[in-house]
Amino acid sequence: MPQLRDSATRAGSHGADTVHSPQFGTGARIFGIETEYGVAITGVDRHVDARQVAAMMFQPVVTQTRSTNTYLRNGARLYLDVGSHPEYATAETRDPLDTLTQDLAGEWAIRQLANQAQQRIRERVGRDATVHVFKNNVDSAGHAFGCHENYLVRRYVPLTVIERELLPFLITRQLFTGAGRATGHGFELSQRADYLDEAVSSATTRARPMVNTRDEPHADPEEFRRLHVIIGDSNRSQFATFMKLATTHLVLGVIEASVRAGRPSGFGSCTLADPNAANRAISRDITGAFTVRLAADRDETDAAWHRHGVASALDIQQRYLDIVKQKVRADRDTIARSLPRTDIDQVLADWQDLLDLVAAQDVDALADRLDWAAKYRLFEAMRRHDPHVDTWRIQQVDMDYHDIVNGNVYPSLIRRGMMRTLVGERDVNGAVDNPPRDTRAALRGRFVQTALRYGLQFSCDWTRLTLTEPVHGEVVLLDPFDACPTPRFEALIARMKQADTVSESLA
Amino acid sequence: MPQQYTQHGSQARQQHEDTQADLQQAQTETHVDALDAVLDDIAGTLETNAQDYVNSFVQQGGE
Repeated sequence: MPQLRDSATRAGSHGADTVHSPQFGTGARIFGIETEYGVAITGVDRHVDARQVAAMMFQPVVTQTRSTNTYLRNGARLYLDVGSHPEYATAETRDPLDTLTQDLAGEWAIRQLANQAQQRIRERVGRDATVHVFKNNVDSAGHAFGCHENYLVRRYVPLTVIERELLPFLITRQLFTGAGRATGHGFELSQRADYLDEAVSSATTRARPMVNTRDEPHADPEEFRRLHVIIGDSNRSQFATFMKLATTHLVLGVIEASVRAGRPSGFGSCTLADPNAANRAISRDITGAFTVRLAADRDETDAAWHRHGVASALDIQQRYLDIVKQKVRADRDTIARSLPRTDIDQVLADWQDLLDLVAAQDVDALADRLDWAAKYRLFEAMRRHDPHVDTWRIQQVDMDYHDIVNGNVYPSLIRRGMMRTLVGERDVNGAVDNPPRDTRAALRGRFVQTALRYGLQFSCDWTRLTLTEPVHGEVVLLDPFDACPTPRFEALIARMKQADTVSESLA
Repeated sequence: MPQQYTQHGSQARQQHEDTQADLQQAQTETHVDALDAVLDDIAGTLETNAQDYVNSFVQQGGE
């Protein structure tokens, strides 16, 4: 586990040769989502297990790139993680709508691999073999896995401030970001709330398992840190994915601005006495009304919003939203410009709408946009049809909702117009082959596309493009906001095209 | 395209109360019909052994 490294001391120690990102002084953000998928197979005897299915899914990847860890034409990273989880990390994006689209492109890519594997498995062991790939966060035995969000945050914000001021937001946002889960002890908003506490040592660094702070900014470390949020659920709802990113961005923007101005953001008054207990309790209450204790040492700027040191998830969310609204009124242009495609007024209106609907306990109205509400409504309908429906059946439908390969529930809800979508199939298809155009992913995508077209061997990481065969070449891309090809990059691309003619003439 | 987020607009929020009540009633009915249709759509899923299906998904955690 990487240690917390508070690099606040680095602020102001910029070396003379540091090249500042032009976006450092703006409100712009880099977003990314890493989604781990779970794999299962049914309709077979014990000849095939999930581990083998995952390995078969990655066979075409290994054939093409000699590795189970690669980067794709759209700049994303695809790999086989520990525990046989296929994992897809979106390319860097500047707007939550693009992150959503890139994440859906990842679903598409994983689905393709699963369908190909299923085809081959059926040829071998019979036509009933059915591959399931779950975009959820827990298996039937209670192994939890993740959907991690990445936000590039300006380095002058101390880690302690992020943890203190962001955590109450992350814990209470499950009112709209929770994927929902049918459990033995009832319905929960969050898939993960019951599993995060295992890793918590509450005394010293209580926030660590919810916000991982490994110091790998994939950018100039003098300017940025990469905030790695691991508390969130995997969402199938496009609206939930979008709102998760958009609202978290707005909150982070307020924190950055207040640190820069040397003024308290106001979020410090939301600090929770026991984040883990609050996380679990809030997950079990779909009304948002259950109250939790605030920390005794909170930064009190305005005591009027809570009830003598206790507050509900709805109270806390409303507090965050009110402060963000104030900030937008005061500094509209900077905040509006921070997202190139998204209308922040619409985000604020929808955020308020969500809180109002939760307060009114109007699950039906929430069910067309939130995963947990969609599932809750469906389970209730099943119970109406059959009052004796058993828990296994409910859990099966719960899991089917997250199966991106052979699941019926979610596609049916979409087909019947029961759930909103924000991006269409054409956009998703476009994002399978094309990187976001306004980040360095544009360059990585072009590099990968060129390598694949000319049959060249390559390797990448987020900041580095390396051509390994037939000739060696490397380009470093330190600024994630920068989509402009440097002369060095263009030279590498030119050499790649040349390498092809060289090997052709030798053949 | 995600029109909702790329356009400014809140004009749809001002419905007359009666119309809204009617709408809500109609929506509730359509929702129930649509939910029934969804349950029909997934009837095939529901034929399999639910316990086997759920227990088929076990693997070591990632992260």
